[in-house]
Amino acid sequence: MKTMQLKIGGMSCSACAKAIEREVAKLAGIAQASVNYATEKLQVSFDESKITIEQVQEAVVKAGYSVIPVQQKKEIIIPIGGMTCSACALAIEKAVQKLTGIELASVNFATEKLLVRYDPVLVRISEIKQTIINAGYQPLEITTTEQVDEDKKRKEKEISTLWLKFKVSLIFSVPLLYIAMGGMLNWPLPQAILPMNYPLVYALLEILLVIPVVIAGRKFYTVGTKAILRLSPNMDSLIAMGTSAAIIYSLYSTARIALGDFQYVNDLYFETAGVIITLILLGKSLEAVSKGRTSEAIKKLMGLAPKTATVLHGELEMEIPIEEVEVGDIIVVKPGGKIPVDGEVTEGHSSVDESMLTGESIPREKLQGDKVFGASMNKTGSIRFKATRVGSDTALAQIIKLVEDAQGSKAPIAQMADIVAGYFVPAVFVIAVLSALAWFISGQSAVFSLTIFIAVLVIACPCALGLATPTAIMVGTGKGAENGVLIKGGAALETTHKIKTIIFDKTGTITEGRPEVTDIIVTSSYGADELLRLAASAEKGSEHPLGEAIVRGAEKAKLELIKGEGFHAIPGRGIEVTLAGNNVLLGNSKLMIEQGIELAELVNQVDRLATEGKTPMYIAIDKQAAGVIAVADIVKPSSALAIKKLQEMGIEVAMITGDNEKTAQAIGKEVGIELVLAEVLPQDKANEVKKLQAAGKIVAMVGDGINDAPALAQADIGIAIGSGTDVAIESADIVLMRSDLMDVPTAIQLSKSTIRNIKQNLFWAFGYNVAGIPIAAGLLFAFGGPKLNPIFAAAAMSLSSVSVLTNALRLKRFKPYRALVENELGMVEKPRDLPINILTIDLKTKDNNLTVKEKKIMKKTIKIEGMSCGHCVKRVENALQALEGIEKVEVVLADNEAIIEGSTTLTDEKIQLAITDAGYTVVSITTN
Amino acid sequence: MKKIIIIIAALFVALSITACQSLDVVGTGAITSFTEVAKNLSEPISSDPVNNGWSLAAPGGERFVWSKDFSAKGMSDLMMEFDIQPFLAAGLQPEKLDKNIYLYDKLANKLMVHAELGDTQFKSASSTDPLATFKEIVTAYRTSVNYHEKLDHYNIAFGGGNMFEWAKNLTTNDKDIVFVLNPATLISAGVDPLKVEGWVFAKVEIKNAQGDKELVDKLLKPYNLQ
Repeated sequence: MKTMQLKIGGMSCSACAKAIEREVAKLAGIAQASVNYATEKLQVSFDESKITIEQVQEAVVKAGYSVIPVQQKKEIIIPIGGMTCSACALAIEKAVQKLTGIELASVNFATEKLLVRYDPVLVRISEIKQTIINAGYQPLEITTTEQVDEDKKRKEKEISTLWLKFKVSLIFSVPLLYIAMGGMLNWPLPQAILPMNYPLVYALLEILLVIPVVIAGRKFYTVGTKAILRLSPNMDSLIAMGTSAAIIYSLYSTARIALGDFQYVNDLYFETAGVIITLILLGKSLEAVSKGRTSEAIKKLMGLAPKTATVLHGELEMEIPIEEVEVGDIIVVKPGGKIPVDGEVTEGHSSVDESMLTGESIPREKLQGDKVFGASMNKTGSIRFKATRVGSDTALAQIIKLVEDAQGSKAPIAQMADIVAGYFVPAVFVIAVLSALAWFISGQSAVFSLTIFIAVLVIACPCALGLATPTAIMVGTGKGAENGVLIKGGAALETTHKIKTIIFDKTGTITEGRPEVTDIIVTSSYGADELLRLAASAEKGSEHPLGEAIVRGAEKAKLELIKGEGFHAIPGRGIEVTLAGNNVLLGNSKLMIEQGIELAELVNQVDRLATEGKTPMYIAIDKQAAGVIAVADIVKPSSALAIKKLQEMGIEVAMITGDNEKTAQAIGKEVGIELVLAEVLPQDKANEVKKLQAAGKIVAMVGDGINDAPALAQADIGIAIGSGTDVAIESADIVLMRSDLMDVPTAIQLSKSTIRNIKQNLFWAFGYNVAGIPIAAGLLFAFGGPKLNPIFAAAAMSLSSVSVLTNALRLKRFKPYRALVENELGMVEKPRDLPINILTIDLKTKDNNLTVKEKKIMKKTIKIEGMSCGHCVKRVENALQALEGIEKVEVVLADNEAIIEGSTTLTDEKIQLAITDAGYTVVSITTN
Repeated sequence: MKKIIIIIAALFVALSITACQSLDVVGTGAITSFTEVAKNLSEPISSDPVNNGWSLAAPGGERFVWSKDFSAKGMSDLMMEFDIQPFLAAGLQPEKLDKNIYLYDKLANKLMVHAELGDTQFKSASSTDPLATFKEIVTAYRTSVNYHEKLDHYNIAFGGGNMFEWAKNLTTNDKDIVFVLNPATLISAGVDPLKVEGWVFAKVEIKNAQGDKELVDKLLKPYNLQ
């Protein structure tokens, strides 16, 4: 089974979409055919053994629409160096044309450029370039024409054509309306066209004026007539029938005038037809512009990727088009440059702004081995990285595809609108005929009945119904993408607003998923740094997560580790190692007791830490208890706030984890979750979701790991954290690009806003037709009220589509709760280096009057003069990092400043001296 | 776009060329119908030497006169003539009549409504054919010839609401010719319009040049010629 998308042209309303769906679905081998009127795309799933895509295209064309070819071939212009005469040009053309997959190779000797049209599946640019080199010439920098641009150009052309048609129509409709209405409104008219004196001239002049209008709106007649012949009338059919009725009757009146029945001058309705066409063209033009705006988010995403990349060839840096970057290439990105493709840092360090992809406003530190993503902005340092994913495999390309697919999908709420739209046009036609007949039979004139017929046909607007849902979904999913919330489809977007219960996975979702050193309890024999240094030295090389956490803690504190000897892991107990001749034991109480070590007061502290959900480890040096180091998976900064917000929204929040009850409860308490499901095996997570669903609840599951995938799939809505595994992301309905739970309420808030918007749109679209059609049918007139002029009916019809689109565009003003919190409370999330709680215990005195000292971190901003390049930055960084007590250094060349964090013992004098020694001048030092 | 402009321009030119005559269905129809009226008169159209024109006489003696030469001083371009007696009986004080519109011929006991259509030096090319002269007047003073939709009549306007009307289709219309007077000036000259014997005082629906409908008071003297 294969699924493909085709771009469809010529649709004018959702009835067209329905007609195409019907035609395609009739074909053998079609599993599913779905047309999105807003995106003008047909998504078709078919059995390749039974039907080809060409046959599907034929069916679309047969239905009266066009399939806009998706440009498979690419065109590039390669500037060529080294040509001396036209024979060189010929030689290059011949050489390139010999390659498989080349459709066109044309060298312009004057401009020294080769235009190549090629199939990227069959031939690579590098092969073309190599061929040019082999022919003895030098291929230079390449420019490409992207398909995105083609699509944009096509849309722009469509909009400009519609505007032109509207203008032509307007130019002729205004005098037509003036002439027609002039009499009634006592506007002056030239003697030669006075209707009572020169009725035939008057009628012919109206015909002359209506002709260009009809030509401008000829699409309504061609498409509308074809649709009628296929017995699947659409909006164009209604316009065509309505205006044709007016024109044909007016032509008949003209003939009668010519035959001497001058009173027929009163029965000319050319201006009705002309103004209806003009107003519909205006509506269509505004609709086209508005439809374009609904997909702005995706255009923004597409525009993020840079056009070129600087690739390292040996020691030479070469700027090449991004299309030529291949996996494994080493790419250089300088400060201020954009990262072209996804990769892994091999050299250098920098902070990278990934906000364009994740919405995360704070740049992330990137060191060797860290992943970088295409389209993100390198801020401070120069880095080199190895390309791991290029082209359509990059995170950006995947996001674009995800958003595009979501925007093309249909929400269940759209089903009702689709069904109604399918029957709408024939029903309107029947109503129009019946209304006209009823009035005629009741004694009204043929002209009166005709105006009723036209007004009903013209006022009915299936396009507003067709646009109500997809436009809101396009804007909603686009807005989600802008805010780092990727919603995979209309169904997910719709279900999200119904969520009653949310289950959060603990590790990696509520917590950071990476244990950190949280507490150090020291005896009087050793200081905290020394104890951490020894513990980290002992654990160096350990693959145990707790050991890794201790090593990371020491690295953060810039502690120099000692090389250990005789490392010995004691399963279920801990480790033993010799450091600088001292025996070091690191492990649990069992290890200490077995080794006969007196733990004394430390036991109480260890119990306390365990109750807090932390994992404490004793350290003994030379068989003497030296202290305790506790590690814990810390809660993400925004978790508690996000959970509070969800609870305020009336959503029940639960936490699920495989961890022990004590730890789970501690974390639950910290973030405000009462319903904690602890010690749940991975395979049972989905069952817990099922249990809640069985109670009739709409359940969402938020997780990040492979073990969460079944639960994510089981839940009504699976929400995966973007930093999570691919399996989790695949299984989820919503992907949060940030590892920030504040995006969960944002997703629900967005879903609620979008669904509310869809309901408003449907209300207006249905309400408009429900109210408009009876009025047009003369209901008010029957009770002594006015009769609806078909011109006003046309204006109302155009207004309905425009009002639905305008309402959908209001969603662009959506403000996520996160932004409101940031703006109103000034809360800006920053990367945290949590202080380690340090407790000193005097074991000799067993003094219980403990003192808790929190490690103080000081932050200073230093304004520096004299830095001019990346090397200067590096020099200043090195000078500052060499200072004792420094924990973090960030030098920003653009701002001529350095921001440092470290111990309070760091004095301004020491800082100034270090920078001066490095060759730069300190302008000011500010303590933050 | 260019094609559209060319097509429209061509059609405009074609229309302009042919507009004057063949598209003037009211003018053409007015002449044709007037010819039919002439054929159905009990007395043929006769010469009117006083006005140097032609006279169409109704069965009741009322006359519609059109001149061959509009340049002649002291003569009417158009004229309607009636017996004054019914008006006098209805209270008419002739001295109060507007001299620009009405003439009172005491000797002949006639009331005349006259009109000067314009200052053009109109002279008919034909001195022997009254209908040819009438056709020339219609062509030259086309704006004075109108179609009265309500009665399915053509008329030639004298100005001031007075006119001479004739049926477009004599076979279907029971008012083949109608002398139409605006009663306002007569009322101000003492006439009680309801008491003018042989004349009908009525509200008549007319359309102005723009096509607006109006109900106006008229004194009518209709004749069915068939």
